[in-house]
Amino acid sequence: MDFDLSSEQLMFKEQVLKFARKELAPRAQESDLKGEFDFEAWRRLGEFGILGLHFPAELGGSEADVMTSVLAAEALGEAGVDAGLLLAYGAHTFLCADTIYVHGTPAQKQKYVPKLASGEWIGCMGLTEPDAGSDVAAMNTRAVKRDGQWVLNGNKIFITNGGIADVAVIYAKTDPSAGHAGISAFIVEKGTPGFSVGQSWHKLGVRSSVTSELIFEDCAVPEENLLGNEGHGFLMAMQTVEWDRSTLVAPLVGVFQFLLARSARYALERKQFGRPIAQFQAVRHKIADLKIFYEAARSLVYRIAWCKDQGKPLNHLEAAVTKLFVGDWSLEPSNAALTLHGGNGFCHEYDVERVFRDVRLAAIGGGTSEIQKLIISRML
Amino acid sequence: MNFEWTPEQLVVRKKVEAVFAGAAPEFDALEQADAGAIQATVRKALRLLAETGYLELAQGEAAQLPMLIAAQEVVAQASSSLFLAVETTARLFGGLLAQAAPAWADELLAPLRRGELIAGVALSESESKEAPGPQTIATAVDGGFTINGRKSFVTNAPIADVLAVTVGLDEQPAVAIINARDAGVTIGPRLKTLGYQGLTVSALTLEDVRVPANRFIGPLPDGKLADKLLLTEALVLTQASVGLAQQLYKTAVSHAKRHRRGGRAIIKYQEVGFKLAEILTQVQSAQLLGYRAGWLAARGDAEAATVMHCAKVFASETAEQVAAKAMQILAGEGYLWGNRVERGFRDAKYAALAGLSSEQARMTVADNILTLYRV
Ligand SMILES: Cc1cc2nc3c(=O)[nH]c(=O)nc-3n(C[C@H](O)[C@H](O)[C@H](O)COP(=O)(O)OP(=O)(O)OC[C@H]3O[C@@H](n4cnc5c(N)ncnc54)[C@H](O)[C@@H]3O)c2cc1C
Repeated sequence: MDFDLSSEQLMFKEQVLKFARKELAPRAQESDLKGEFDFEAWRRLGEFGILGLHFPAELGGSEADVMTSVLAAEALGEAGVDAGLLLAYGAHTFLCADTIYVHGTPAQKQKYVPKLASGEWIGCMGLTEPDAGSDVAAMNTRAVKRDGQWVLNGNKIFITNGGIADVAVIYAKTDPSAGHAGISAFIVEKGTPGFSVGQSWHKLGVRSSVTSELIFEDCAVPEENLLGNEGHGFLMAMQTVEWDRSTLVAPLVGVFQFLLARSARYALERKQFGRPIAQFQAVRHKIADLKIFYEAARSLVYRIAWCKDQGKPLNHLEAAVTKLFVGDWSLEPSNAALTLHGGNGFCHEYDVERVFRDVRLAAIGGGTSEIQKLIISRML
Repeated sequence: MNFEWTPEQLVVRKKVEAVFAGAAPEFDALEQADAGAIQATVRKALRLLAETGYLELAQGEAAQLPMLIAAQEVVAQASSSLFLAVETTARLFGGLLAQAAPAWADELLAPLRRGELIAGVALSESESKEAPGPQTIATAVDGGFTINGRKSFVTNAPIADVLAVTVGLDEQPAVAIINARDAGVTIGPRLKTLGYQGLTVSALTLEDVRVPANRFIGPLPDGKLADKLLLTEALVLTQASVGLAQQLYKTAVSHAKRHRRGGRAIIKYQEVGFKLAEILTQVQSAQLLGYRAGWLAARGDAEAATVMHCAKVFASETAEQVAAKAMQILAGEGYLWGNRVERGFRDAKYAALAGLSSEQARMTVADNILTLYRV
């Protein structure tokens, strides 16, 4: 048992923190309020190298290990970067680019990964459908091979980056009779005839991320756009959960350090009854709870990253435990941070309000808390 | 970074597992035993543990904390009551002596390491409105001290050979080591407690008890020893809580797989299966937080104390919540007197109120954090 991080890892986290505090965090409130994707912040993320951190150098990455990616993501949260931007980063880098990197042919990797790693192209991943959320295998989107092409028909909903993506990894049924084993993945580029973007959603949190419906109407992609083996789609989607449970949730852990700092400063500054509210035990109680959650959540996330770096097969039980803890146990402390700020906590001018809304996604996206409990209870 | 125990960290744990194999029934019997029988079992356990090197772990040497935590898991799961009796002796009493390191410390530490002594640490006393400060007072007399006062809850007192007693000496804190059979020492009666019924606790009254200079530590003006004692208690109570939560988790899972209702094992119902998932999530997070706290303390990290208090609050409250959920899963069977879950339900409350209580610990955590942000 050893929680030591290398000096390189710690130094890099510091660099990301500095960069994010200066270049990204000051933009957060505005992009959240507007509910618009911040292309300039995206460009800066790409320029700094965050978007392709773990890819090999020849594909435009920095060859970082998973732990370093987690620390970078944590630092972005800790800096108070808008969670909409961070969700866009997660969907782009892990759900889209990484899937192409892991399962793609050399040609597919060459074609897509460098452009995604730099941020020149934006990626998305489409799994969820109107009638298939938690129950992935119920998906209705079909892909049929016809004249050397794959023809896709169906609708995807809630797709992060959907409306702004240049490349989409789309899951569709190639053999409807085979359940999970009948799902395959495809790369679909923007502008492909038959591929269009439907409605976009206004959301409680992560408001600057674009959440869209994707529509496929006789959308034909070349045969070589099949990603990975036919019928392996479900397994591929499940592999991305390693990222879901580590790097994708890491900003939500880092953000508690941000809330802690904000709350401590506020408690020291704000005076009521002739003294700083930090002198009231009920206020200090909340600060302690923020710290307790942060410390507990962080080790769980690190454990998943460490396992992945060791090349161990994902421990699905530990991954689900991590996702469930971050999703459900974050609610009380984020609520406490808001309460501590009084009326200000309810107002947009203080960013705890934004963070409070953003954190709520952790128990829904990437598999709800109930689905995590289902996974865990089946493995006991 | 390594989320697994290394072979070196597991050395003592493996030995403890070996010497404790088959002892479960004997440890279970502690819960209904009288003080004499408890003393015999604790003595036997201490002698077994002495062979493994467990008793001396991390007494003065913080670097051994991960190794200790790995081994504590086994003892804490074997018996909650025994665990606290052993830890009070080895970590609280032994740690206090090793930390203060008076010239004569080894006269007591050596037999302690051999498992020959049962010890207690007497801290808590009632507070007086008229005369604030310590109520147990040491007065210097020729070549030693006389102690007078009363301590309210002293773990192990009814079975102990030696007791460390915190006292006031000219309004400065100090510690006196007394023999349980010294003249003027009155122990008892044994208190009846809600949980940890295999542990012996009683009040301690001291009337003109003579303590030679070579059994007296202090005055200790800087408060470091008291802080260290609180952190040791935090570590012990964290491990006690994690161990208890693990026992309850295992009991609840096996019950839910075995017990059938409506034609299937109750684990198949989400209302039960999901509770177990929550329990496991709580147990794993508390366990990991405990590891992290111990690791930070082992390397002398500036945040170690804060995180140790976090771990204690989280683990003790986890144990309480886990106990309530486990009871719900075992239902009628769990509610019966003597059931592991019924016992665990009663035991779980203790850690949150003992040592630095959850309330005090949260205030300490917050104070430490606020200090970082004070401009
Ligand atoms: C902001 C945002 C971004 C997203 N980004 C993407 C994306 O990029 N790509 C993508 O493919 N998807 C994305 N999603 C979709 C997300 O993954 C789904 O919303 C999520 O998996 C839940 O599915 P659902 O909304 O259909 O809920 P449902 O599956 O309909 O669930 C409704 C409720 O029923 C519960 N439930 C369902 N099944 C069970 C069961 N067996 N046992 C117990 N309880 C159950 C659920 O926990 C939930 O409480 C995004 C969603 C949001 C909100």
